[in-house]
Amino acid sequence: MQRLYGVWGGMMRKNKLDKSKLLALGDRFRIYILFGVIFIFMSLFAPRFFNSYNLTTILRTVSMNATIALGFTIVMICGEMDLSIGRTATFAAVIALTLQKKFGYGISVPIAVLAGAGVGLLNGILVAKIKINSFIVTIGTMTILQGATYTITGGNSVSLSGDKVFAISDFLAKPLLPMLPPRVLLTILFVVVFHLFVSNSQWGRNFYMVGGNRTTAWLAGINTDRITITAFILSSTMAAVAGILFAMESSAATLNMGDNSLMYVVSATIIGGTAMSGGKGGILRSVVAVLSLEMLYTGTILFGFGNEVKIFISGLILALVVLYEAYASYKHEKTIGQRAVLLEELAQAKEKI
Amino acid sequence: MKKQVKVVLLAMVLLCLGGLLFAQGEKAVGVTGAGAAANLEASLKVDTSVLKAADGQPLLRLSSELPKIPTRPANPEALPDTDPLRWFDMEYAGWDTKKTNIPASPKDGAIGKRVVMIVHGDHPWTTACSNGAKKVADAYGMDLKILSPNWDLAVQNQMIDQSINERPDMILIIPLDATTAIQQARRINQSGIPFIFFNTLPTAEAMNYAITWTGPDDFGQMRKLAKVFADEMRRRNPGAKELGIAYVQHAPGGSPYFARSYGPLSELAGYAPEVVTLDMQAPGFEADRTMQLVSDWLTRFGPRLKGIFAADDSAQALGIIEALKKAGRDDIVVVAAGNSKIGMDMVTDGSLFAITYQTAEGDGALAVQTAADWFNGKELPNRRDIPQHIITKADVADFYPPQW
Repeated sequence: MQRLYGVWGGMMRKNKLDKSKLLALGDRFRIYILFGVIFIFMSLFAPRFFNSYNLTTILRTVSMNATIALGFTIVMICGEMDLSIGRTATFAAVIALTLQKKFGYGISVPIAVLAGAGVGLLNGILVAKIKINSFIVTIGTMTILQGATYTITGGNSVSLSGDKVFAISDFLAKPLLPMLPPRVLLTILFVVVFHLFVSNSQWGRNFYMVGGNRTTAWLAGINTDRITITAFILSSTMAAVAGILFAMESSAATLNMGDNSLMYVVSATIIGGTAMSGGKGGILRSVVAVLSLEMLYTGTILFGFGNEVKIFISGLILALVVLYEAYASYKHEKTIGQRAVLLEELAQAKEKI
Repeated sequence: MKKQVKVVLLAMVLLCLGGLLFAQGEKAVGVTGAGAAANLEASLKVDTSVLKAADGQPLLRLSSELPKIPTRPANPEALPDTDPLRWFDMEYAGWDTKKTNIPASPKDGAIGKRVVMIVHGDHPWTTACSNGAKKVADAYGMDLKILSPNWDLAVQNQMIDQSINERPDMILIIPLDATTAIQQARRINQSGIPFIFFNTLPTAEAMNYAITWTGPDDFGQMRKLAKVFADEMRRRNPGAKELGIAYVQHAPGGSPYFARSYGPLSELAGYAPEVVTLDMQAPGFEADRTMQLVSDWLTRFGPRLKGIFAADDSAQALGIIEALKKAGRDDIVVVAAGNSKIGMDMVTDGSLFAITYQTAEGDGALAVQTAADWFNGKELPNRRDIPQHIITKADVADFYPPQW
């Protein structure tokens, strides 16, 4: 009888383990599951969702925010925040198009990318060296960039026209491979490079170390300031690249073109599982989250719902994810607090005292 | 990591396969032969002239005043802002265009046609505009789908692509940005779907790809308002050698930004040279921000400020009037573009001197009517303007109840 209880108890323990493993797996792959559910649901029910033109449109639309999300995710993994991404995208786009008129894209694009990187360098130095909160620093940068953009443009949009410009624009927009225009291919290339860099390189792993515990990272010999500055440079550079590519495809840059990217990318990165406290997250997860949100938005439009429904749904998903994260964190801390071994050790320590 | 890569690759493969398997978008279903002729006959019988807007005015009205188009200067951008010809490419956009790849009218009637209308953003004006559009669409039995990108250019571009994917019979679009509209227009034009710009003017080049444009002649309207504005300032300040004014501008980028700032600016330079521009600012469409801006102006310019020209007669006008009330400056003449309920109420109580008649319902209605006319095979001009009128206390009662 005792033996039977022993087997039953073992099974129960095994089941519990399996269940917790399953939950952990579900948590780890939740964004891929969400992606799959949205994709299948929209393909089955949203009118005209599942055709090459629409899927190409989704990929093209995703390109800008997915590119911005690459660098932004690294900043969040480091436990920091970059609120200037949208304005950096606009700023770089405006520079690229304004200078194009005089020098052509060959010179204007590298200058605009460098300008973006410069914004990141400034953010990084202020956060890492001067020790100002990244939230405050990037709000400041965001405002400065808005003013700078208005000054450069005189408050007007910047547009280009002419056969050469339109040829570049058409080249970026029309698929080279099925459903894959060059702008999308470039985005895929960026995603692969960033994913390999963050996951496989020592430098990439250092982002997690710094975000997880800055002091431990420093004690382990990591130059935490350099890592933080690099994260901000990558974030601003990718925001600049995204803005420039969008402007090149549109042959125009408007003064608020990057404004909505901020909330979009922040939401997608959090939904993708990158912790705001740092040390946790992934490039692919953020990109898949951007793609999932975009499919959701497209679906709402195809179902004939208005923009308000789209905003409501994205807000709801974000709220649910944040709630879940808070609950998971609470449970985690509760589990630590109730750990029998830990309680025993604490009791022993108390006795010694 | 390998697992993650596999999952993403699988997702990408699924997307590609999906695209390849279902590569065709939905094609527009047209009527042919006898059906087309019958549809056209029935469509031509539809009488939309009896439709009324919420303010009791006729829903569909066309301007009979065609502007005299001057000769385009070689380089308008080289001219000073005060020269009316500096704004030639915007003010006269569409009147003289070289139409490119415009689809021919099917001449099979408007009844049953699928029309997608892409507006600029969510706003009470847009609701009224959509209501007007629906009235005409319902009269013709059209299937009208209205999309709003909420002022986001990337979303508007996406909506254009999705509309192309839907293959409707017509796309009606308010360009979010005058200059970006060129690429939007090219994209729709290349898809072979007929489209009409409305409400906001794109640049002249964008107009080449559109069937036509419908909406208010914002520049013309603002020039009229500027004259009324100057006359009132002169009346209140007889013999003044300088009349200082400031502009509360529209959102930068769109044609109203230029029309409602540089339209009056260039008009007043000739009509009332004593009017001096003290400042121009675009505080957005929030009353509190506008109030702050005007309070700053009152401190900065003091009694030099004699008038304010606003791009919006609702939130902006509210902010202006509130700031003037707090400062006790009832001597300042305020005029604004638009005729919302807020604006009309303020004209009635005398705090706003004049506003412009800009029928929101009529704007949307005219765009749909023009689409119907195209389906009916009617010859269309390059532009169809809504009539201009300046509303003052003398006739504001005629425009109640307001449309929005």
